[in-house]
Amino acid sequence: MIKNIEDNDNIVESRVKVAFLQSSDCWGCHQSLLNAHLGLLPVLPALEIVYWPCVVDFKYESLEKREDGEILVGFVEGSMRTKQDIEASKLMRRKCQLIIAFGSCSCYGNVHGLANQFSIDDLKNRKFLEVESIADYSNRIPDEHVPSFENKIVPLDNVIKVDAYISGCPPKPEQIISSVLFLLGQKPFPMNVSAFCNECSLNQSGCILDEEKICFGAITSTGCTMKCPENGKACVGCMGPARNVSSKIDKLNKITDDLNSISSGDKKNLYEFLTLFLNIPLMAGFDLAGDILKQIKNKGKVSTPLTNLPSAIEEVTSKLLQYLRDNKNFHEISNVCDTCSRIIGSRSTMTKVKRDYEGLPNLEECLIEQGYICMGPVTNAGCGAMCINVNAPCSGCYGQTKWDVNQSERFADTILKSFNVSISKEELLSQVKDHIGTFEKFTLASNKGYKGGE
Amino acid sequence: MVKEIEVEPITRLEGHGGLRVVLGDDGKVQDVQFNITSTRFFEKFCEGRYCEHIPRITTRICGICPIPHHLTPTKAVEDAWGVKIPTPALKLRQLLMNAKQYSSHVLHFYALAAPDFLLGPMADPALRNVVHVINKMPDVGAMALKMMDFGQKLCAAIGGKSIHPISAIVGGMKKPLDEEIRDKFLKEIDEQIEFTKKTVDIGLKIVEDYWDVVANVGVVPTYYLGLTKNGVHDIYEGDIRIVNPEGNKIDYNAHKYLDVLGEHIPKHSYATHMYYKPAGYPEGIYRANCLGMINAADKMATPLADEALKAFRDKVGPVSHHTFAYHWARIIETVEAIELIKKYLEDPDICNPDCKTLDIEPREGQGIGVTEAPRGVLLYHIWSDAEGICKKLNLLVATNHNIAGIEKSLMHVAKQVFEDKILERLKLPDPWIK
Repeated sequence: MIKNIEDNDNIVESRVKVAFLQSSDCWGCHQSLLNAHLGLLPVLPALEIVYWPCVVDFKYESLEKREDGEILVGFVEGSMRTKQDIEASKLMRRKCQLIIAFGSCSCYGNVHGLANQFSIDDLKNRKFLEVESIADYSNRIPDEHVPSFENKIVPLDNVIKVDAYISGCPPKPEQIISSVLFLLGQKPFPMNVSAFCNECSLNQSGCILDEEKICFGAITSTGCTMKCPENGKACVGCMGPARNVSSKIDKLNKITDDLNSISSGDKKNLYEFLTLFLNIPLMAGFDLAGDILKQIKNKGKVSTPLTNLPSAIEEVTSKLLQYLRDNKNFHEISNVCDTCSRIIGSRSTMTKVKRDYEGLPNLEECLIEQGYICMGPVTNAGCGAMCINVNAPCSGCYGQTKWDVNQSERFADTILKSFNVSISKEELLSQVKDHIGTFEKFTLASNKGYKGGE
Repeated sequence: MVKEIEVEPITRLEGHGGLRVVLGDDGKVQDVQFNITSTRFFEKFCEGRYCEHIPRITTRICGICPIPHHLTPTKAVEDAWGVKIPTPALKLRQLLMNAKQYSSHVLHFYALAAPDFLLGPMADPALRNVVHVINKMPDVGAMALKMMDFGQKLCAAIGGKSIHPISAIVGGMKKPLDEEIRDKFLKEIDEQIEFTKKTVDIGLKIVEDYWDVVANVGVVPTYYLGLTKNGVHDIYEGDIRIVNPEGNKIDYNAHKYLDVLGEHIPKHSYATHMYYKPAGYPEGIYRANCLGMINAADKMATPLADEALKAFRDKVGPVSHHTFAYHWARIIETVEAIELIKKYLEDPDICNPDCKTLDIEPREGQGIGVTEAPRGVLLYHIWSDAEGICKKLNLLVATNHNIAGIEKSLMHVAKQVFEDKILERLKLPDPWIK
């Protein structure tokens, strides 16, 4: 979500140094950042990119020559597969004040962590000695001017201290951009004068705020297609602040006075709002982001993102932030199901586990209840249920909502509790033949209890 | 004294690589190495996975071309299990492939390649990048961004996600395109065709400006690998074609790839060296990617692209060994991609819900899938057990087909630069961006 940036000159003067490191990866996180396309235009002038090999021509040596701590934010992307990945990450840690684990590879190891099932020799032998298309039987493993391999993939925070995490494979462009803006202290700028309520079809009758449920239309700018109220949904603030709030502000104020008692649907809307309206990125653990701000602020680099708002809006948002600070596990309440539009408690029931190729699920009912293994209930929100929207079950790329437990069992326990499932836990788990590939595809390297192949 | 020149890392590269040139006392080039410094072992850790999960894992091989890495293993599993997909699914996959081809080629041309030409090869490295191009040529920059955006959004609309798509499944596609969304893209298609034509003009101007470079630097005869369907350029349904250095074309069935394509394990790179097996190594080193495809094609699949191919052949002959002609070949493919996108968007079948067969039974066997990813032929060879679990996987990944060819042309260019001092003689134009 890009806000208008009114004063380009000021930004250019206060350009901040950022660096991007590519470890063993697929380039997808960088492609995702580039996917912001026109959205990049207002951001780029604010950045002084001092290292970004996939786009900019600076060499490794130029990074080595920087002063320690000279760079404000370093994004480290990719898995820790080689010694070079490890050394370059350590170098980034020295040169950058803040390190962001950028994408699910550096956060959790990603699918590359599946290699931990095998010994490094098994891996190398398959690729360099055994593969069917090796034709001249050179019988060698490359070792000249190439870095050696790590025995196991580990998450980045096992190698260096990490200040914040942006998960996702890849993280969505708006998530990356909003993280960057947030870290840079860019503020949301009021857009139009008029508030959403003034054009809302529910303004006269059926107003969501009148029903004492959260809707952010009172403080949000007009300018969208007003689809949400047409579909009976609350405004979650995508357009950012309005210059003038609507007359419904008192109702919103009243509801936000007691955030602890809001419903789970309202919490979902709150989650979306914090991302879209305030540019608070979907970092795993907002508390970390708070620490970051304190850190930067002490160095006098940037201010918090919440100045410059109309005071009536600030009153609401400060309560939301307070809530967020007091509820550090807020992100945990949001899993992919929270952002999925399918019906849970539908007419369907899982009676056996279906493989993904079996049948064709309908688009309305929960995929689990239709018999498929969908990792939505145990996966961090942030993606907007993109896979499920095209009828493909979630496979967990945003990371687990809870760590250091048996993930297969946790999945089974979760769905037996909250979904239409009529088979036992034992049956369910025995019908899945590949537990690691199904339940820990993206996170095996983060599983401290998993020992893997020797 | 022996002198070693090291470039680390090679920038504007997807993946990890370094370059090393060793010069002797006499100034002669003794060795050139193109070091690819990482690999992630997908071949091994896909073992034990459900076959139908592989296309959701292997997308992570490449973030720029995840679509071929999603569809090719799907094809391989369908081949292994003997599954036939409905026509609407085939058309959706063709559309998805071409949407990716379009956005990737535009990204490659504008973000990765163009800075060298628009700023000139001698420009300040701090400025020689797409960010600076966008700042200095905002019209061209905005157009390029709109082109990439169109392609990526179309990929997302069909694939569910533009990066690491999920909508293909063994037996077809999980969902057709919504008519409403299709109409939105149709509205923009003519503007995109205009953008592509402008890109052709920019590309041809660059070729003209840099003709001395194109015609004289890195002209290296090799074999080529491409895909055609009955001689016509086809990135999803094509089969293997080899072009020898003289320009003769030989067709092969992908199921026979082990007789045709060999891997040599170099001592200094984790990416292996591919070669045409009947010719041996290193004589059989080939190149792939757009120049390989263009050299292999008798004709392009669409009229404007075919015209562009004829113009190309008039200038460089029936087989081009010009390394710098890759950019031109890429533009010809971009033209075909946008024309095919229009053709498939106008086909009502892409919104047809009959896009997946229900007749699927895993069986023991091997399957091969082959497509053209934006950087070369992509081949998956999968071994399934009776329950449909992957027992073994072999991959010939797009970029990998080019590693030996790149090293060969680097050796050629290193000799031109350090022994023949060609840079002192080259006619370079005034840069567009000063």
